This record gives sequence, structure tokens and C-alpha cells, in this order.
Amino acid sequence: MTSRELLALLVVSVPALAAVVTAAAPRAHVHVVATIGAFASSAAAAALSIVALSSPGSPLVERWVVVDAAAGLLVGVIGVVGLTAVLVTPAYLASSTTGLVRTERRPPTFYALVFFFWAILAAVPLVGNLGGAWLLVEATTAASALLVGFGGKPRALEAAWKYLILTSLGLGVALLGIVVLAAGSAHGGLDALSWRELGHVRSGHALVAYLLLVGGLASKVGWAPVHNWLPDAHSEAPAPVSALLSAALLPAVLLVAWRSSQALTPVIGASAAQSVLVAFGLLSLAVAVPFLWQPMAWKRLLAYSSLEHMGVIAIGIGYGTPLALAGVVVHVAGHALAKALGFYAATPLIGHEPRAAGHAVRGIGRTQGPLGSVLGISLGALAGLPPSPLFASEVLIVAGGFAAGRPWTAAAAAVLLALGFLGLAHTLLDTVAGKAPARDRGAPGLRGVVLLTSVAVPCLLGLTAAALWLPGSVIARALAHGAR
Amino acid sequence: MSGGLVWMLVALGLGVVVVRRRSLAVALVTVQALVLAVSAAEDNAAPAAVLAVRAVALGTLLLLVVSRTREPRPVRAGIAPIARAGLAVGFALALTWLVPAIGLESRNVERGVLALIAFGITAAATRRATLFQVLGIVLCENGLALAALGLPGGSSTAIELGVAFDLTLVAVVAAVFHERIFAEFGAGDTAALRSLRD
Repeated sequence: MTSRELLALLVVSVPALAAVVTAAAPRAHVHVVATIGAFASSAAAAALSIVALSSPGSPLVERWVVVDAAAGLLVGVIGVVGLTAVLVTPAYLASSTTGLVRTERRPPTFYALVFFFWAILAAVPLVGNLGGAWLLVEATTAASALLVGFGGKPRALEAAWKYLILTSLGLGVALLGIVVLAAGSAHGGLDALSWRELGHVRSGHALVAYLLLVGGLASKVGWAPVHNWLPDAHSEAPAPVSALLSAALLPAVLLVAWRSSQALTPVIGASAAQSVLVAFGLLSLAVAVPFLWQPMAWKRLLAYSSLEHMGVIAIGIGYGTPLALAGVVVHVAGHALAKALGFYAATPLIGHEPRAAGHAVRGIGRTQGPLGSVLGISLGALAGLPPSPLFASEVLIVAGGFAAGRPWTAAAAAVLLALGFLGLAHTLLDTVAGKAPARDRGAPGLRGVVLLTSVAVPCLLGLTAAALWLPGSVIARALAHGAR
Repeated sequence: MSGGLVWMLVALGLGVVVVRRRSLAVALVTVQALVLAVSAAEDNAAPAAVLAVRAVALGTLLLLVVSRTREPRPVRAGIAPIARAGLAVGFALALTWLVPAIGLESRNVERGVLALIAFGITAAATRRATLFQVLGIVLCENGLALAALGLPGGSSTAIELGVAFDLTLVAVVAAVFHERIFAEFGAGDTAALRSLRD
């Protein structure tokens, strides 16, 4: 076993072990055990991420495992979001009054499910086979649905049910695409579905298979028009889970669509493979933008912002130029940091202003300054307000579209992004500095979120700086080559 | 695989779309999966065993859920059975017309696969009862199992095992939520789950 294979094994097995240990941990020590497990899991993820991103030109591509730049990026993102999600969990658990399980079993069950979800999620970017990737993506549904409905309230049950049924049906369609690919392979079996071998399927079947596959995966990524579960699940899930879903799960599934597109390009042609992704991306942007102009509950607004950003990433990988892919790297990382921060701020926000759970709220900065700052930083970054890394990444992706010879779609994306920015900027002003009613409640868990923000801000600025360097880098070229 | 067997599977699938009783629908998908298992046993024992174990495990789980959540009266679907059947058949015909040959062992198998997927999606979309929506997913997965058996080189045991495990996991989670929804609203009726809208 090579050192990269060993690292890949650790990235998956450490959170899996943490799931078992937290489930069995005594109640008095469960938070400490979970924190240790989270630091160990994210250390393994960071090690793999550093190794993969420091030598992107020599990836490990085997039948069952892939350790390349894309895997390094996603595993790093999952590690950071997983760690921070566990760190803010005590505040969520302290504020929750209902749950799917008995009160005394709530902390160990929640942590065990989070770590179980983390372990499966971390395996998705590392698996070297489309069949294996599908199995892992489907397995994330079961674990994450339980987490979405963990609050046990009627709205949480509704969101979890929609998520479970819609994504399972979508993944069924994706599996049909995989069966069609297997039918079109020369020697059949699981090996034919490895990323390296997918490009050898018979061309007569490949386009149908690709459409079924990406159309099915779209339901899990949350691309329009099959995104109906996304606003509900992200808004009703516990805040740490919303962060994991939006910042880690969606891009991890998107990576499977991306790898499939790259692997099948020799058979179906680059234009067809990329056009499907650009179409999903533009449609998602177009559907998301009107909602970004509406006053709505904080977490629901963030959910529609996820729809927008998954659209942007789809457009970037659809263009496939080094310029656009550099933008994708910055966008995936910047979106993860800013979105996770936004969801973590939801717990103190709802503590401070309970109406925020179901309605738009105004003037938080006037009644709770530090909380207003966190909300402002998160929403400003997500809107693409300079110097947000998402501003830089969106510029790179649009420029990448022009470089790819797709000026009309790039122009359409630029217009939609500008409209989305204006909508979010309006909400930002209203939420932070609008006219505020009198509020006298505290903001439970705010100290931890402010601390995380103080770490996240330099990281976000660092990503903006990285956007200047990435376009001509080996990482962007390696991403364009894919796991082949 | 003979054409008669494929059409028997399709008929069982259509039954799930139209029947009123949950227990009868569970029995239909279970028999369907067992028929698939018997058919698979002719070529390869391992995938057949996986399918059979999955069929029995899911059937038992779903019947247990039915017995634990007795409805005072069946949850009525918004669409009459004959209309549901018409929709399902129309959808299946549209799919077989739209999707070109996909390389399975015969066109009959391909049509059967597409019909079962169409029936599964129709069941999930038109039935209000939560359990019928889960059965819609199981119906789709049975269609995909038929597709795997119709692959020219035969199906992969590893994939069959993985899919069966994942489906069982999803069904267990769905059962947890079904019971919770039943406890919360007094019925496993998705009409009660319509508060989240923009």
C-alpha cells in the first residue's frame, strides 16, 4: 500500500472510528470525545489535501482509489467543514428542545451520525470507480436524511421526507445511466466503471447514459429543475448539518458528475459533455436569482444561495478551461467557508431573534453588533462583494467562458450573477443595518461563531489572493486533465 | 430472460400503482423481487441470493411498519386508480419511445426496465401515503435489478450487494420517518407535509 492509499484509508476510517466511539461514549465525555475525533479526522483530511495539492501533476489513479487535485480540494473542504460543524454542535444541542431520539441519547446519536456521514462523504472524492461513487452517494442520503430530520419537528420531518424520496428517485435514474454504461462496455463488470475505463464504452450508448447519470445526480446536487428538496432540507436541518450539506455534500456529488463528464468526453465529445453542465448551471442560476430578492428566513436564503453557487460551479466545470477551473477551486473553498459561517450564525441568530427561524429579520447589527458582523461577513462573501474570493472566482469563471468560446452563456452568467449580487446586497443591508425592533435576548453560542469568523476572514482573503496565482498553475492544468 | 417473465414483472409493478392496501402493495414488490431472484439463479447464484435476501428483508421490514402504523382508514390518493394506471402506462410508453436501445440482452428487457422505473416514479408522485412513496423507490430499484440481470456480461455481485445494502438502509430510514410522521399527524399522509413553500 502506497502512502497516498494509506492516507485515503485514514481519511475515511478515522471519522468512521469516531462515529463508533462517540456512539458508545459516556454522556459526560461525549463532547470531548467528539472534539478529539473531529480534530483527528480533519488532520487526516488536511494531510491528504496537502499531499494531493502539492504534487497535482502526479495523481494516484487506481481502479478503486483516486488521489488527485480534485480529491485533495474536496477532502480538505470536508475536513474543515466537518471540524467546524462538530465544534459548533454543543451550542446547537444546548438550544434544541426536540429530537428524533430521547434527550439523554441526543448528543451521542447526533455526533455518531455526523461522523458516519463525514466518513462516507470523505470517501466520495477518493473512490476510483463510478459504481462505487454511486453507492457512496446513495449511502450519504440515509445518514444525512436522519440528520435533516433530527430536530423531530413537523417541518423537519417534512424536509427530511422530501429529501429522502426525491434524491433516492433521482439516484435511481443515475443508476440506470450506470447500467447503460455497463451494457456498453466491452468486458462488463465493475472494472469497466473505473474512471480510467469509462472512456472506452461504446459510443452508441454513452450519450444516453451520460444524460441519465447527470440528470439523476442533479437531484442530489440540487441543480434546477430538480432542486425542490434543497431549500427545505437546508433550512430545517440543524445548523451544523446544513453547513455539511451545503458546503461539503453538494460539491462532493458535483465532483462525481464532473469526473463522469471528463471520463466520458473521449466518447461523447467535449462539447456535449460540457454543454449539459453549463445548461444545468445557467438554469440553477436563473431559478435561484428571483429568490435572492425575496425577504425570507436566514437559513432558507442561504439554501437558495447554495442553488446559485452550485450553478456557478457547474458553469465553471462546464467551461473546463484552466481559467474557469481555477475559479472553481476558489469558489468551492470560498463558498464552503462563507456558507458554513452563515449556517453556524443561525443558532445565535434564532436565540437572539426567534422569528428568524421562519421569517426575514432586520437590523441585527443594531441590537447585537458582533452577530450582525458575522452575518454581514458571511452574506457579503456569498454575494461576491469584493474582496470576497467569490468575486474573484466568478470573474475567473466568466472569463473562462469567453476563453472557451462560449461568449453568450458567459454573458448570461455574468448578468445573472450581477442580479444575484444585487438581491443579496439588498438583504445584507436590511438584515444587518435595517430598522430594528427592540430585542433583549442574548445570542447563545455567539462567542464560538465569532472566534470561527476571526479565523475564516484571513482564510477568505487568502483565497482571494490565491485566485490571482491559480489560473496558470499546475493545479488548474491537472484539474483540466481529470482522473484519467 | 423470457418475455413472459418480463411482462409478469411489469404487471406486478402496475399492481403497486393501482392497489389500495399497503400490505398488498408490499406483497407485490416482494414477489417481484423474488421472481427476479429466481430468474437470476439460472445464471449466477450470488446475485440471486443477494436479491432474495433483500426481497425478504425489505418485505418483512415494510410489513412490520404496516402493522405498527394501522391507519383508521386508508389514505386516499388524489387520483383515481384507473387514472393512475393510465398515467403510469402513458409514462412508460413515452419512456420507451424516448430512450433508444440501451444494450441489454433484449428489447423486451429494456422495455420492462423502463416500465418499472416509470411505474415507480408514478407511484411516488401520485400516492399520498408515505409508504407508497417508499414502494415507488423499491419498484424503481427492482427495475434496475432487472436491468442488471439483463446486462450482456451478467450483473456484478459487488454492485448488487451494494445496491441492496443502500436500498435497505434508505428503507430503514424511511420507516423511521414514516413512524414519526404517523405519530405526529395520526396518518402516514404526505398531504400533511405541505407547510414548506415559498
